[in-house]
Amino acid sequence: MASQNGLNLDSLRITPETPVGYELQPIKKKAAIQLMGSRVWGRFNPNHWDPDYARSTGLTDPIQTGEMSSAYISEMCVNHFGAAMFKNARIVCKYIASTIANEVIVTGGIITEKTPKGNGFRFRADIWAANAAGEKKTVGWVEADVGV
Amino acid sequence: MNNELKPQSAVQAAQTRAFVAGLQQGSQTYWDMVEIGDELSRDLHISPELVILYLDPVEDYNPWYEGWRMNSWHIDGESPFGGAIVPPLLVSHFVLSVQFDHTKPFAIGSIHTFHDSEILEPIPVGATVRITTRAIDKYEKRGRRYVRHEVHVTDTATGMLYFREVRDILSL
Repeated sequence: MASQNGLNLDSLRITPETPVGYELQPIKKKAAIQLMGSRVWGRFNPNHWDPDYARSTGLTDPIQTGEMSSAYISEMCVNHFGAAMFKNARIVCKYIASTIANEVIVTGGIITEKTPKGNGFRFRADIWAANAAGEKKTVGWVEADVGV
Repeated sequence: MNNELKPQSAVQAAQTRAFVAGLQQGSQTYWDMVEIGDELSRDLHISPELVILYLDPVEDYNPWYEGWRMNSWHIDGESPFGGAIVPPLLVSHFVLSVQFDHTKPFAIGSIHTFHDSEILEPIPVGATVRITTRAIDKYEKRGRRYVRHEVHVTDTATGMLYFREVRDILSL
């Protein structure tokens, strides 16, 4: 399916032919404080949405829950691995720096390994989320079976 | 309060301060709340509306997850597995509500720092899952205190193991 900007969304899918070194297409999101403080995300901890409280604990501004960046990375992985992300997949994320309210976060990834498995391969990719300056906030890796 | 990040009237600001004060009452650090071997378990019904509540703040609009849609309301949905399915890390997000004993005041100030998540089987929207957490380690690293848990998520009706995880919380 081609979008109006000419990007063929079907071409994103990783297939057994996808080579090591293939770069995942990024997802870009803004860390909007109104979303960070929603009930099922950060509402339980005012460091995620209350500027006054956050500053009282030494933060410059509220910080996003790390799991929001994991969700962004997961969205990118589903775009590329499709159904393979829901069966025998693995995703590891380490939150190495805080995402501050109003930062724009961009995800990234690159295929680092493909190991023969069954009729296909188990792919492994390094994954990350970084701000506009390229400062990484979350790093990790994902594995999924393709064509197995 | 006149903050450009979060504009509020005086009424809203007062309501915010009251809410935050309520969160802090009687809380203790997570490190002190947890002993190695502590096991907690709760059942979560993953309703179509809960999936939407999870997805909208992260602006993920993949139609595979939709068992509820405006105007149609409840729908079966469509995915490669048949009906609507749950996003890969949704259950991971709700682990927090299990490992932090909800019958005690919340230990604010804790930070989730790491997860190693295995997504074993797709979870259909509408399933009820049992999330079980067990504290397996407490350790200090570079002057910081961490609590490590292992997590299992199963279907309450079939017993199917959907999801497994190891995760760390940095405690004050």
